[in-house]
Amino acid sequence: MSSTRDLLSGNNEMGSVVLSKLLNVLTGLLFNILGFGVLIGIWYGVSILTDNALPTPAATLAVLWEMTKDPFYDYGPNDKGIGLQLANSIVRVFFGFILGAAIAVPAGLLIGASSFCKKMFYPIIQILKPVSPLAWFPIGLVVFESSSIATIFIIFITSLWPTLINTAFGVASIPQDHKNVAKAFGFSNWKYLTKVLLPYSFPHIITGLRLSIGVAWLVIVAGEMLSGGLGIGFFVWDSWNALSLEKVISAILIIGIVGLLLDKGFSWIEKKVTYES
Amino acid sequence: MISIQNIEISFNTPRGKFTAVKDINLEIAKGEIVSIIGHSGCGKSTILNAIGGMLFPAQGKVMLNNHEVKGPGPDRGIVFQNYSLLPWLTVEENVYQAVDAALPGKATSEKHELVTKYLRMVNLWEHREKYPKQISGGMKQRTAIARAFAINPDVLLLDEPFGALDALTKGSLHIELLKMWNLTQQSKTIVMVTHDIEEAIFLSDRIVVMNNGPAATIREIEEVHLPRPRNKKEIVNLEEYKVIRERLLNLLMDKVEIDEKDFFKEKAA
Repeated sequence: MSSTRDLLSGNNEMGSVVLSKLLNVLTGLLFNILGFGVLIGIWYGVSILTDNALPTPAATLAVLWEMTKDPFYDYGPNDKGIGLQLANSIVRVFFGFILGAAIAVPAGLLIGASSFCKKMFYPIIQILKPVSPLAWFPIGLVVFESSSIATIFIIFITSLWPTLINTAFGVASIPQDHKNVAKAFGFSNWKYLTKVLLPYSFPHIITGLRLSIGVAWLVIVAGEMLSGGLGIGFFVWDSWNALSLEKVISAILIIGIVGLLLDKGFSWIEKKVTYES
Repeated sequence: MISIQNIEISFNTPRGKFTAVKDINLEIAKGEIVSIIGHSGCGKSTILNAIGGMLFPAQGKVMLNNHEVKGPGPDRGIVFQNYSLLPWLTVEENVYQAVDAALPGKATSEKHELVTKYLRMVNLWEHREKYPKQISGGMKQRTAIARAFAINPDVLLLDEPFGALDALTKGSLHIELLKMWNLTQQSKTIVMVTHDIEEAIFLSDRIVVMNNGPAATIREIEEVHLPRPRNKKEIVNLEEYKVIRERLLNLLMDKVEIDEKDFFKEKAA
């Protein structure tokens, strides 16, 4: 008898755990919806106050639906679907980002590992880092004679700094204990690099890459406004020229969601590579 | 076999030269277990690191098998104060990477055999796939001991190896260490830094008592003639154990007494 009761109460406990988890998720979701509700409410209010100079949420949603219904249409060079525009921007961002990482990670390793390199290059980094990447655009234009490549160039410059600085910090902060092990057991340079230096700084490198791609995604919109051609930034500018604020707001939404996904992707990797000591 | 000849070790600090130890002379024979004991900051670890080749004396020299110590080498295995395992490597990998680095001449299969042998010796073979964060402090230190033994050094240098462990784990690791030492026919020379008097007596042939730093010197060297194998429960009842313990306590505690007298003097005045 008593065992049955225990079993039942055990079941009840498990059930209540599941229930409370579900409740947590539901309340979380409810708060999210509430937040969006408030935002849309304010938006609606502003639309009414400005006599629809700012398009209403409903009108915007209709345009967004129209845009996303056939995202990959191609009616010539000046009229392409939002999907194609977005894909173009993402390809550019990744191109610039990967080039940037390819330079920034080794450079960061070097600057972090050698105080000589740090003394030599750190002042340069400190001067160049606060410069808006857009300022590099004219230089890119002159050098590459192509606005499309110049955009990739500014993404490249943008991606350098967070990755470089985080990598250098990671390498510079390797605990003396780990270095002592390598020294005491006579690790070769290669073994030190692959078994101590890289594993220790890997989470720092990934954090740097995550920050880099975030800034790169910020900069691409402004960059494409300058460069024109094809891309989500240019799409925003083009929509403004066509006086379609609905399209501008829709693009903002899409840019936000893509940025969020990029960030989530990298923080997922970040979690995967972080070890506990 | 180890001969420390009149060494002085100093560090450059922002406030100038700091001399940790000076006038250190010590001869250690093959197969001997020697403890260096003293208060914190008396330069115990500094001497150990000089033998290990991790730092260099400003004066004098450390000789090992008639060669001057010029850096770390596979003839010396070090067990660090805080285990110093690499957290991204498993127990087995931690030992293997050290063996691989220290014994480059051996074949891969031989290296793996060594790792297996020593992990079994410290009873960690079942836990070889685990990462340092998944095992207890005692197991971490056993991994570190296996790592130091596995490169088959002539000398083992232990830097407060059991300092962070609870008394029970400490006790079983003492036995484990002596077991490893016996398995190698007591041929390994062990130099250990500690601040635990009982630990020093139980393990050592000789105990080096340090003066307080800075510029610490050797105060006295106590010989421990207790018969081996030693039994933790039995040796505490031996007369010699009590005498040595008393002597060490007096050597290490006299400073406290002086302070107390000064305190009373001040009160009277």
